Amino acid sequence: MTAATAPAAPAAQARPSRLRLPGPARLLRLELRRSIMPWLLPLFAVLFWLVTFHPAMANPPFWNVRSGIVQSHTLLAFAPLLAGAAAWAGSREHRRGVADLVGITALPRWAAHLAAWAATTCWAEAVYLAGVAVLYGVTAHQGAWGGPLLWPAAVGAAFVAASCALGFTAGVLLPSRFTAPVAAFVMFLALAGGAFALQANIAYAQIWPLNVQGAFPADSYGVFYPYLPDLPIAQLMFLGGLAAAALGGLGLPAPAGGRWLRITAAAVTAAGLAAASTAVALAGTARLEPHGIVIPALHDAASDRPTPYTQVCGHTAIPICLHPAYRALLPDVTAALGAVLSQIAGLPGAPVRVTEVAVTTVKAEPGNGIALGGPVIGGHPPVLYLPLAGMALPGQGTASSIAANLRQQDGPWILSLLVGLPGQLGAPTGVNVIPDVGPNQSAQLAVVDGLVRALGLARSGALSAGIQRGMAPGSPQELAAAQRFAALPAAARHAWLMTHLAALRAGRISLSEIP
Amino acid sequence: MTTAGVGRRARQADPAPRQATGSLLAGLRLARLYAASRRAATCLLVLAACAVALRVALHWLPRNGVFARQIPLIIEAGIAAVIGVTADSPFGEPERAAGRWLPYLRLAAALALSGAAFGALAAGSASQHLDGGTLGLLRDLAGFVGLGFLTGAVLGGALAWIGPIGYLAITLPTLAGHWTTPWLWPDRPPHDRGAAICAGLVFAAGLAVVTVRGARAWFR
Repeated sequence: MTAATAPAAPAAQARPSRLRLPGPARLLRLELRRSIMPWLLPLFAVLFWLVTFHPAMANPPFWNVRSGIVQSHTLLAFAPLLAGAAAWAGSREHRRGVADLVGITALPRWAAHLAAWAATTCWAEAVYLAGVAVLYGVTAHQGAWGGPLLWPAAVGAAFVAASCALGFTAGVLLPSRFTAPVAAFVMFLALAGGAFALQANIAYAQIWPLNVQGAFPADSYGVFYPYLPDLPIAQLMFLGGLAAAALGGLGLPAPAGGRWLRITAAAVTAAGLAAASTAVALAGTARLEPHGIVIPALHDAASDRPTPYTQVCGHTAIPICLHPAYRALLPDVTAALGAVLSQIAGLPGAPVRVTEVAVTTVKAEPGNGIALGGPVIGGHPPVLYLPLAGMALPGQGTASSIAANLRQQDGPWILSLLVGLPGQLGAPTGVNVIPDVGPNQSAQLAVVDGLVRALGLARSGALSAGIQRGMAPGSPQELAAAQRFAALPAAARHAWLMTHLAALRAGRISLSEIP
Repeated sequence: MTTAGVGRRARQADPAPRQATGSLLAGLRLARLYAASRRAATCLLVLAACAVALRVALHWLPRNGVFARQIPLIIEAGIAAVIGVTADSPFGEPERAAGRWLPYLRLAAALALSGAAFGALAAGSASQHLDGGTLGLLRDLAGFVGLGFLTGAVLGGALAWIGPIGYLAITLPTLAGHWTTPWLWPDRPPHDRGAAICAGLVFAAGLAVVTVRGARAWFR
């Protein structure tokens, strides 16, 4: 029997026409359906909850704090797994023994590989962005001040794509059952190595994709001033360059496609490497500024303009005005500093207002550390700029702990500024250190110590507790003068300061002249 | 396979005294073929590389702190992931149907590779300061390997790496958090009994599952 004698088969019922997609889109749809990623979505969801959502919810609803977690915590958990999953997808043809079979199809292998990578990346981006959307949605629902910070989420999305690209390329070029675990393992090691390099103060390591504004506390940026995009831009360049170089490398072997396709792949690879190298070089020029990390070549002066807001002020002798995001801290700050402000109100050179700022001064410390400055008096009329970053956020810590921090650290600091002692950077431990205090400043130290004792700011007084002379603790004469001054009635102290503060600041008062 | 042997006479059956030796040789050949099918040699190479990496890392790392804990943990998890994927069978159902000695081979391979991994890492950390010590290394490695075996049984041998790597992704950010649950055993001190029991249970469960059931290939 031949086909010629067979009865003609009835024409097959035409299926209802589906949406006709162009070739690449059809290929992508096929790859999306065949990807391993949908099976891993529950794992990623659990990881996101454990590593990102749970810790983020333990913090108060501040965009800067929660956005930082989105970039650092999430990617530490996601990137190695994504690299492994992408490597698994990349080695699929070898694993199934069809590499030769698909190698002779009309479709260039580079295009097929790009479609498979795109499918894996689409799923990965979907789960990452869905997690970010949930977290940001909850944060907005909790009434966080301002708007969501999108740069950390953008860096995260780029890192997701780059992880998939690197893993996928490893899977295609080195197909083996060990490729996926080794890719994940190497990604973990690379992230740990980057953190180690950052800790060793290597300037180029600022490019590390999990780095969110260096060593700045999460609550010190993005509220008073816009979130500085310099470092995220460099990170995006770096990650985009890495992804382009990896994917371009897939198009270089002869079976990947025709001559022009391979030339294009080579150009993409070269451009990717150039972008990544440039980003690393730019990161090497990064420097600490009070509002974040600045890269001069990428810096936009518009980012230095403060974000407009209406202050929330209390009713004390010297009004304390906080940022509205910190409104809940106003009673604690007032309770902690009220006594100090009452004592100095009306004195010549005393501030007429206390204004909260994010940071006054910053200084880089070894081990990727940072030293934040204490309060500063400046302007005309004088205003006390009070930084609260790194201390506590509203809803974080107890009221007593916040008040204790303010009384023991900032109270003596404000008094020191008032009597003319040099304002210096606070040490990372929170202890205010005033080095290089000259011998003719004994009276200033004694007055500050006496005020600290009288106001009960620190248990043992400034001379022996917070403020050090850099050379030796307070002398017996200084301590005696401090005790005398502390024993005075508040009105008498205030009156003496009213008349002698200018001379005290100028260093013309001796210890014996202190009542 | 070639046709070179076609037409030759079959070998004579071995005399009785040679049967024991023949069985031993056959057993050894079976073990060798099993190890070759699981790429055990490559796995051992990776173990050796990880041991070298651990030694280099311990030389440069600070003696204390997060890094002193993180890097060895990453290496342990990487080793466990590699051991996990060696459980993957390239033959699937036919091997399971015909392989009478398969459970013993799986058990022997799992124990041998786990022991080799511990030996390699212990050698790599010898004369260096390993945060957590050898006891902590044994506990953490056993837990990671057990997770690899369990994941291999659930998702398939080729994806067995997801267990240790996913678990590491959870534990790394919590290292500084002082968690108290023993199920996060890398966060606990090396002499913590609860953590040791949990890691041991996971290893025993993984070993039992991979011995009895093997690593099924759900995904290809």
